[in-house]
Amino acid sequence: MKRIILTFAATLLFGMAMAQNAKLPENVTIKTLDGKTVETSVIQNDGKPMIISFWATWCKPCNRELNAIKEVYEDWQAETGVKLVAISIDDARSSAKVRPHVDGNGWEYEVYLDPNQDFKRAMNVVNVPHTFLVNGKGEIVWQHTAYVDGSEDELFELVKKLANGEEI
Amino acid sequence: MAGAFAAFSFPFSTSEAQGIMGGHVTGNVQWDGQMSRRDSVIGASDVPEKILSNARADILYTNGNFSAGLRYEGYLGPMLGFDSKYSGQGIANYFVSYKTQDFAVTAGHFYEQFGNGMTLRAYEDRFLGIDNALRGIGVMYRPFRGITLKGVLGQQRYYWETRGLVRGVDGEVSLNDLVESWSEAKTRLTLGASFVSKYEGDETVMSDIPGYKLQLPKNVGAGAVRIDLASGGFGLQAEYARKGQDPSMMNNYIYKPGEALWVSASYSQKGLSANIQAKRVDNMCFKSVRSESGEMLYINYTPAITKQHTYAFLSMYPYATQSTGEMGLQGDFMYKFKKETLLGGKYGTDVHLNASLITGLDTTIVGGKGTDGYTSSFFGTGETFYGDVSLEIAKKLSSKLKLTATYGYVLFNPVVEAHAGDIHHNHVLIADLTWKINRKNVLRFEAEWMGSDSKYTAEVDDKRCGDWIMGLVEYNFTSSWFLSLSDQYAYNDGVGNYYNISVGYTKGATRLQVGYGKQREGIICIGGVCRNVPASNGLTFSLTTSF
Repeated sequence: MKRIILTFAATLLFGMAMAQNAKLPENVTIKTLDGKTVETSVIQNDGKPMIISFWATWCKPCNRELNAIKEVYEDWQAETGVKLVAISIDDARSSAKVRPHVDGNGWEYEVYLDPNQDFKRAMNVVNVPHTFLVNGKGEIVWQHTAYVDGSEDELFELVKKLANGEEI
Repeated sequence: MAGAFAAFSFPFSTSEAQGIMGGHVTGNVQWDGQMSRRDSVIGASDVPEKILSNARADILYTNGNFSAGLRYEGYLGPMLGFDSKYSGQGIANYFVSYKTQDFAVTAGHFYEQFGNGMTLRAYEDRFLGIDNALRGIGVMYRPFRGITLKGVLGQQRYYWETRGLVRGVDGEVSLNDLVESWSEAKTRLTLGASFVSKYEGDETVMSDIPGYKLQLPKNVGAGAVRIDLASGGFGLQAEYARKGQDPSMMNNYIYKPGEALWVSASYSQKGLSANIQAKRVDNMCFKSVRSESGEMLYINYTPAITKQHTYAFLSMYPYATQSTGEMGLQGDFMYKFKKETLLGGKYGTDVHLNASLITGLDTTIVGGKGTDGYTSSFFGTGETFYGDVSLEIAKKLSSKLKLTATYGYVLFNPVVEAHAGDIHHNHVLIADLTWKINRKNVLRFEAEWMGSDSKYTAEVDDKRCGDWIMGLVEYNFTSSWFLSLSDQYAYNDGVGNYYNISVGYTKGATRLQVGYGKQREGIICIGGVCRNVPASNGLTFSLTTSF
């Protein structure tokens, strides 16, 4: 039994050594706020880092996170060239409210709708908020679920590392 | 064994996927459990197994245009609020899929939505135990730029089985993509249409006239047309659906055709927005098995347009669409007072106002089973089902303090939950204060009050009645740890004292939460669908991770 466990563990560890970062999926269908159907390949930032944030209009921590980043977004962009892409998982009940919600909050982010939750499933998102960091090569290098006031500072430390070409 | 578990769990704590033959394996795991004790005051019943637990793991493999997935689900035994038909374990979902920009095919289990879902919506909500995935085949094809065609054929998931037979087609035209000269136009117009049909064999259902059996339609169709128009800050979306004769348990076997209309209009600019929605639903419940009265086997979805409240007392009486018939109107307004103005102060002030009113249809009964059932006037309204008004003001008081103050009014007619009784009128006040002590330590306080004209009676046994107060304190150490204490107490005309203590740890995409306390009996709504959860009393835990 012990040998089996050791072999199993060794196989997994070998697998870990071979591990590579998953790429952001390119062919999942999402929608723009004015109703255009696009593929996730439109999520691009010219080789600079990206924050992908899954959220919903009814999710209070999501709104706190996106509002907090709004206050510092210009500085973040100037310093690192980072782009935040917000993916709304609102379903038919509230998806028509997403655009008024985004404008009403004065968010300058690139926002997409995922009404059939295809992108949410492809990214294994269970709860919102769920935030991903994508490096300049389009690889997902970090993810986190839950937002507390102030955790945007931790996020920006990681964005700065990515912008400098460091590993995180 | 512990070693094997450690090795097995290790990959979950990283964000790196495993490379296999040039593709990637990703997934997520969720494990919830509860140990419940009996409590006659809140009505929690005994759990013979002592521990109830739901577990699930999704494994997804992607390689270029190809993807495949497997899902394990185990309900040993199902947690309170989940149907006992879920009891068991196994592979509940599997699929293979190939997708390019212009073509996609999925075989196995899949989720799909046509338009707003008024003719077809196969979806899941894992927290509510709702999964009406289609098992069959789905295709998507784009013959020209701007035209998307979809087709589905399959059976619906029914706990551990599949039932019914559903066929559907959908077409969508994006005029700005189709017509070259419109591609850069400021106005975007998208049109769509769908048709869905179900087949079910004959069965014996007796009419109200003794000795006469109903002639049941074996094929029932539903169709819808929709429009999505956006121009500058203006937006207009609408969908109209009709359904053929569909006598079923849900509509008491009447033959009246179904009909639904939904319209949403909005205007927004930076710092200001308005959205108004109207809806009329008449006999639009569409299930693949006519005798099914539970929450499974819905083919379509008629969205509730009321706001999804998330504060405890505002969401105490949630609203779900009455698919047999209702009229609704909802308005949402947001305004941001700018910084350095009289009402904006140093940091600006956000104001959010919402109001909604839902009523029944104005109907005239013309007969029972086997007849058209009733007639209804298009603009007439019946009894009031639900209404709410809420005003939320969010303000940053200083660099460390943020306050959200809310007033809400909720009107609720117990008839929508099939109970008798007077309409409840509730006033709710909420203060939600966040204190960022320093970069790592954050405290949050929430105080809620609800005054109601309803009184608890043993006959109706609605434990939401009466006047309530609630307090909550939450301590966060970065976004890694949290500890929260809360208590809801009926101080007048009600019964119950719901205390809860929860602690949670989050690292990356892994989250573990343990709680102890009393869970309110009632309806829990997530994602616009509501269902009853019985009271529970004891320890709960939840583990989720993505990898």
